[in-house]
Amino acid sequence: MGNAKTWAAVTLAAALIGLTGCTNANKNEGASVATTSGDDKKPITITMFSEDLNSNYENMQSPVGKKITELTGVTLKIDYPVGDPKQKIALMAASGEYPDLIFAKNDSNLIVNAGGFIDLAPLIDKYGPNIKKLYGDYLNRLRWSKDNPAIYFLGTYGVNEKQWEPKDGFMLQHQVVKELNYPKLKNLQDFENAIKTFKEKHPTINGQPTIGLTLIAEDWRIAQSVTNPAVFSTGGSDDGEWYIDDKTQKPVFHYTRPEEKEYFKWLNHMYATGLMDPESFTQKYDQYKAKIASGRVLGLIDSRWQYQEPEQALKQAGKPELTYGIYPIMLNDSLKNRNFQDAGYSAGWGIGISKSAKDPVRIIKFLDWLCSDEAQILNNWGIEGVNYKVENGKRVVTDMDLRNSDPQYGKKTGIGVYGYPFPQYGNGVKDSSGQTYTIKSEQQIMDAYTAPEKDVLSHYNAKMWQDLFPKASEFPVKPWGAAWQINIPSDTEGAVIFQKLEDIVRKRIPEMIIKSPDNFDALWDQFQREMDQAGVHKLEGQFDQLLKQRIELWNNK
Amino acid sequence: MAAKSTNSESVLFDIFLYAFMISVGIVTVYPFLNVLAISFNQAMDTVRGGIYLWPRIFTLDNYKEIFIYNNLIVAFKNSVLRTVLGTLLGVFSAAMVAYVLSRKDFIARKQISFVFVLTLYFSGGIIPVYMLIRDLHLMNTFWVYILPGLVNAWNIFVIRSYIDGLPISLQESAKIDGANDLAIFFRIILPLCKPVLATIALFIAVGQWNSWFDTFLYNSNSDDLTTLQYELMKILANTTAGASSADMARSGNPELTTRVSPESIRASITIVATLPILVVYPFLQKYFVQGLTLGAVKS
Amino acid sequence: MAMENGTALPNTTPKRRKSKWSVALEQKYLFFMSVPFVIWIIIFNYIPVWGWTMAFQKFRPGLSFREQTWVGFDNFVALFSEPHFYLVLRNTLAMSIMSLVVGYTVPVLFAILLNELRHMAFKRTMQTISYLPHFVSWVVVAGLITKMLSTDGGIVNQLLIAIHAIDKPIQFMAHGEWFWGIVTMSDLWKEMGWNSIIYLAAISGIDPELYDAAKVDGAGRFKRIWHITLPGIRPTIMVMMILSIGWLTSIGFEKQFLLGNSIVQDYSEVLDLYVLNYGIKMGRFSFGTAVGIVNSIVSIMLLLISNRVFKRWTNESVI
Repeated sequence: MGNAKTWAAVTLAAALIGLTGCTNANKNEGASVATTSGDDKKPITITMFSEDLNSNYENMQSPVGKKITELTGVTLKIDYPVGDPKQKIALMAASGEYPDLIFAKNDSNLIVNAGGFIDLAPLIDKYGPNIKKLYGDYLNRLRWSKDNPAIYFLGTYGVNEKQWEPKDGFMLQHQVVKELNYPKLKNLQDFENAIKTFKEKHPTINGQPTIGLTLIAEDWRIAQSVTNPAVFSTGGSDDGEWYIDDKTQKPVFHYTRPEEKEYFKWLNHMYATGLMDPESFTQKYDQYKAKIASGRVLGLIDSRWQYQEPEQALKQAGKPELTYGIYPIMLNDSLKNRNFQDAGYSAGWGIGISKSAKDPVRIIKFLDWLCSDEAQILNNWGIEGVNYKVENGKRVVTDMDLRNSDPQYGKKTGIGVYGYPFPQYGNGVKDSSGQTYTIKSEQQIMDAYTAPEKDVLSHYNAKMWQDLFPKASEFPVKPWGAAWQINIPSDTEGAVIFQKLEDIVRKRIPEMIIKSPDNFDALWDQFQREMDQAGVHKLEGQFDQLLKQRIELWNNK
Repeated sequence: MAAKSTNSESVLFDIFLYAFMISVGIVTVYPFLNVLAISFNQAMDTVRGGIYLWPRIFTLDNYKEIFIYNNLIVAFKNSVLRTVLGTLLGVFSAAMVAYVLSRKDFIARKQISFVFVLTLYFSGGIIPVYMLIRDLHLMNTFWVYILPGLVNAWNIFVIRSYIDGLPISLQESAKIDGANDLAIFFRIILPLCKPVLATIALFIAVGQWNSWFDTFLYNSNSDDLTTLQYELMKILANTTAGASSADMARSGNPELTTRVSPESIRASITIVATLPILVVYPFLQKYFVQGLTLGAVKS
Repeated sequence: MAMENGTALPNTTPKRRKSKWSVALEQKYLFFMSVPFVIWIIIFNYIPVWGWTMAFQKFRPGLSFREQTWVGFDNFVALFSEPHFYLVLRNTLAMSIMSLVVGYTVPVLFAILLNELRHMAFKRTMQTISYLPHFVSWVVVAGLITKMLSTDGGIVNQLLIAIHAIDKPIQFMAHGEWFWGIVTMSDLWKEMGWNSIIYLAAISGIDPELYDAAKVDGAGRFKRIWHITLPGIRPTIMVMMILSIGWLTSIGFEKQFLLGNSIVQDYSEVLDLYVLNYGIKMGRFSFGTAVGIVNSIVSIMLLLISNRVFKRWTNESVI
């Protein structure tokens, strides 16, 4: 037995030497994990492909970028996609030529299948103390699958991030709730009444007709504004197209749920009564934004970031009372909104080292350094004495005005550039001195609220919008993370079924909403039949397996 | 009498013609003017909509946002170079093949036409083309902009159809003079083809100027081989990054969300990319708008 | 393959070949001027066709050619047994035939009309203005069109209400059966000027003496257009027509995608978008290639048929 173990160790070492090629860095690894040795600062250029553009990337020419090169010897050369990133990834996989680092998001499986990533697990074991510290127990979630426990990439999202603001919900202009004297806003009926009453009183705003509720359904945005809210308002958590019950853990394609029929029926009713903008399903995103920015849209159902731009325009125009509050509206009062339910750590995307990398040890050391407190603070706070100072052992930002006002701040200073998609601590996570790694805080968010916003909140006895929502602690942590990150392998039938179902949903849902209410039940039944024929139950069966595997993989220490 | 009636008919026709042209002009100039107005309008204000022909809040920010990128000069040089070189070589080769294929007596005419025309209707797909470019060692070279698309069947057939419309007697008379095929091509066909060559030059030049996908596929690692359109596309992708896909949206990373509105940047990019074409255009335009006098060539 | 007929074939029957051989020798310059480009196009366009083998595999990037799994005609069977494919095909053909009829004749007419303008500066200005929309991307144009057709202050609805043609705004973008027309008109708007350039060039090649002679004969403008201009650009018109017919099944997807919305999707989805959604975007390269092959075969058949028909009727052809 012992013999076999030694043999395995020798093989592993040989494999590592084979992988690392000619580096001698691994000889003095014992000393050089936390503090980089002189040898490790030899200038090196690491090439990288990232599927997401970071508009602030500055070729490492900013103070923070230069500091990183100074401390590590590394110069990063990052290539971003302009067209469809999938094509570039496929070409890399087909030709077998990769940059050193790859951040491929959902296309990582193409590279894994082509053998393009190296297994980071043994490297992390040897050279990654900071990586281990940053991910903690979630390191297990980085493993590829039960059959193949390799770690191909380091997860991208902030680890242990605290959520302070709701992401999705139902929105009402502050002027509406104020005029109606802060009515109860819990269920669809409350929401409808608020819009209806206000609209009847004010048929026009600034000379233009008042719009009660408008939705945006252009391309993929339909999910944000039309279909996801059906899950959220019926007590589901954000699992993409899936509804997964806490107890049974059975995935259901969410449109098959009878509760959602009620939700869409309500939208149909809103359309029929003229409270919903008749252009909800034909307008383009910029029309949607223009309508919101004109201040005459009373209510929205959407994700917050979708209407950030027009809200900013309204604030700039000095009309904060026309911006929106966000409310956890539900189908009925017995349901609970799960916007704040904790998904644990979502490790579906991440940054990996390719098999073309000449010196993986050096690269993993660099990634490990990026996980260190030194690098995390550098990236979030900047350079001591320039961007922040230390008073009584506490970091204090010294250039807050610039941070808030200069749109080029990130690009000029390099602050924040080396966070996403690199490993990072989430907002609210504290270092050994008890201060957060990131500078964001609840106080910062509250300070940014406008006067009407604060006023509305105070009338609902809340300090932040999150206070109106059920707390994370009221729900179990989802053991599967976020189900929308679970890939259905593209060469299986399920992938095609899924795409077909998406097509059906995008066509039929708008159709049943804009047709006469008399037809709604018939159209709903037909919609269900179509999904049946496309194989929705077959897909659910397949997804059930994938989900089980995921739960097992992630919760098996 | 007949002459007079034609005359009044002609005047009536002219009135209709000019009225028609002016209305077409108004309709077709609008999108461009609208883009121009938006490019000079403050981004946040543009979100409110309602910009038509004139900016509401004037600003140069949308252009400044583009010009902070410092590699635009290299990119511009490369774009000019590929446009000039690609156009010259492309027009020349297409004209040469077109002349050969216009010769009804050429014995391989049918076969060679067939080989060329088929290429318009199939493609091996992106992966094998990529491998070919790699195996020819064209990756990370300037030549990848010129060589793969050098010979284009469509251009050849357009030029050939033009030559077909020319009086053949010109060539025949030259032949009697004892000129060989190469000389006929250079001395007679090329000068006669100016209008169509200017047209093809325009098409190739605009194609070269606007292309960015080859830079993305083959040269994205070489900063000194970048092209203007590719850099502009990157800037545009930058501004839309925050909202470019549902996946992206989920990541909800505030660092990546937009600061300038995509509409505004798209407008200023359109202007920056189109301006050089508009500047060069009149030089090509004169060849196909004014027409040429055959008499000059004949003598 | 086609080249062999043209170049030397040494060991065949001497007599007939000899005459051909001598003709070929006579035409040596023509060969010099074309064969290098034939080789060129074989390298860059024909060699990559090996990629079509993917259609018969379950292609996975990264595996070598021998490691791929072969699946025969499975991908083709999957395509033809998919009812959605026929809907998409219908939309593609409908829109491309409409654009062939409208988007093809109007630029010819426009070029002829431009040519009738005698005021040179006005002519040049008009010509420049007319092609400008070509440089405005479809994203922008689609946005403009949706705004113009909007029920919320769109200019078309306002106009129609002002002249009392309607009393309630019409939702133009919510009628599937109108979608094809909207796409065709938008395309015309954007590309008419640009597409007319080719015909303008062809008109420039017409011998001006012909017009002078016709004037002397007392021919009116319509007569001159009919008897001189149109015949003069006939070869160009015919060749463009034949080439376009071959492209009936490949019309791109950008404009349909950007102008469309979920309500008109049954009318807006075209073949190229279908390939993108069910092929490349899902990583199903083999399926995408199979659709591409079917598309190519149909295109080439259309090309050959139209080439033959035109050859018989009009004596113009590309091959």
